[in-house]
Amino acid sequence: MSTPLIGVSKSILKIKELINHVANTCLNVLITGETGVGKEVVAQSLYAESNRNHKNFVKINCAALPETLLESELYGYEKGAFTGAHRKRPGKFQTADKGVLFLDEIGDMPLALQSKMLHVLQSGEFSPLGSDHELKTDVWVIAATNHNLEERIAQKNFREDLFYRLNIIKIDIPPLRKRKEDISPLIEYYLRLYKSEYPNNKGTKPDSDTFAKLCDYSWPGNVRQLQNCIKQQMVLNSWSKIFEELPKDPAENIPDIQTDGQENGTQPLEIDELADKRSILISEFVDLSTSSDKLFEDISLKKIKKIASDRVEKEVITFVLEKVGWNRSRAAKILKISYKTLLYKMTEFDIHPPVK
Amino acid sequence: MAEPTKLLIVDDNEDILSTFYEFFNSMGYEVKTAIDGLVALKLLRDESLFFDCLITDLVMPNISGVGLISIVKKEYPHLKIIAMTGYGDQPGSLASEAQADVVLFKPVDLFKIEDKVSKLINPQNDNTED
Repeated sequence: MSTPLIGVSKSILKIKELINHVANTCLNVLITGETGVGKEVVAQSLYAESNRNHKNFVKINCAALPETLLESELYGYEKGAFTGAHRKRPGKFQTADKGVLFLDEIGDMPLALQSKMLHVLQSGEFSPLGSDHELKTDVWVIAATNHNLEERIAQKNFREDLFYRLNIIKIDIPPLRKRKEDISPLIEYYLRLYKSEYPNNKGTKPDSDTFAKLCDYSWPGNVRQLQNCIKQQMVLNSWSKIFEELPKDPAENIPDIQTDGQENGTQPLEIDELADKRSILISEFVDLSTSSDKLFEDISLKKIKKIASDRVEKEVITFVLEKVGWNRSRAAKILKISYKTLLYKMTEFDIHPPVK
Repeated sequence: MAEPTKLLIVDDNEDILSTFYEFFNSMGYEVKTAIDGLVALKLLRDESLFFDCLITDLVMPNISGVGLISIVKKEYPHLKIIAMTGYGDQPGSLASEAQADVVLFKPVDLFKIEDKVSKLINPQNDNTED
């Protein structure tokens, strides 16, 4: 069962109305909004209300996979297309045929794959890796991103033509702090959900004071963070502990309560942005959406250090290699590592020269 | 006396919208306006209303002009469509692909649009070669 779209704010009601009006048009949709606002929930609702709901809803996260893997996941491959391709494998464009293909984090898709994506969207045709045949596909593409794509276009990181092709229907989901009236129905919904999932849990409902505090908090992690808090309550049964663990709320220092449609004209607080930036950065390495028990298991500084430095190393090595036209010994000299180390790192990080 | 031509004009800029409204109204058209694609779609789906021609901007929140044109071509094929864009070639070419009857680039001359509308609605009036 997918999560329904919960909310009573003007913006959520408008989104519901929009979904209702466009679900059967199969026009490309672009969903934007901060991490945790419910972009996938909106995509699922579009699918559920469409006449494609008896076919597949196929999801792919464009930020989670390295370029080559993302390409083979999307388009599939023939047996022998590359080392390790022991048998033919269909891509997401095939498994989603007649259904929905949800492209999450489209803003992070590498440029080379963006042009290939554009071609499929234009022609409805694609060929699996290692195949000469063009296959027809009829997928309804719903894409989502937390990036500002106009900015990415200006930075030459996103193709303008792909943007306009995806942006046929645009659904922007505001952050939870800008639609505080949705907090109460969300709390009610998740309390009921977890009560029914774990009937024996001892988590109590918030009393009116706690409820007010919950509604006042700024929720930098949006709906997902709120959902996790309620899940935590089911286990801990201590609202005070949960409040202790919440990242400090900038709203406590300066009251800045914004509700739907009535911006108070002040600039967003810098400290709020800092907290946002921090959680966005951290969420690149750790899944912040899991419950805090699991989260604390995952947060190991050593592990994160390794992932983070690997990522930077990979980018730097690729950057230098591209600058020197993939001349490895020159790159090794510039990077001040041995030739052998460079080759080792290239294999480890799966860095390949572009295929001519 | 023939029925007045019924127009639906869509633009997310209220100033443009009211200018268009005033102009076409004074030219004897029956005009409804919409501030975005969703509002326009709701008017189109209102069974008590009928339109002859849609004039739409392309880059708008929620349902874009291109989206609106695709829906209209499928659901209301009799409706003539004029698309206007101020955002370079991309949206314009998508609008042609979605089969808008006419695509104009902003800024557009109101009299020129009116001329296009009348030729689309009454093709027999079109004696000039374009």
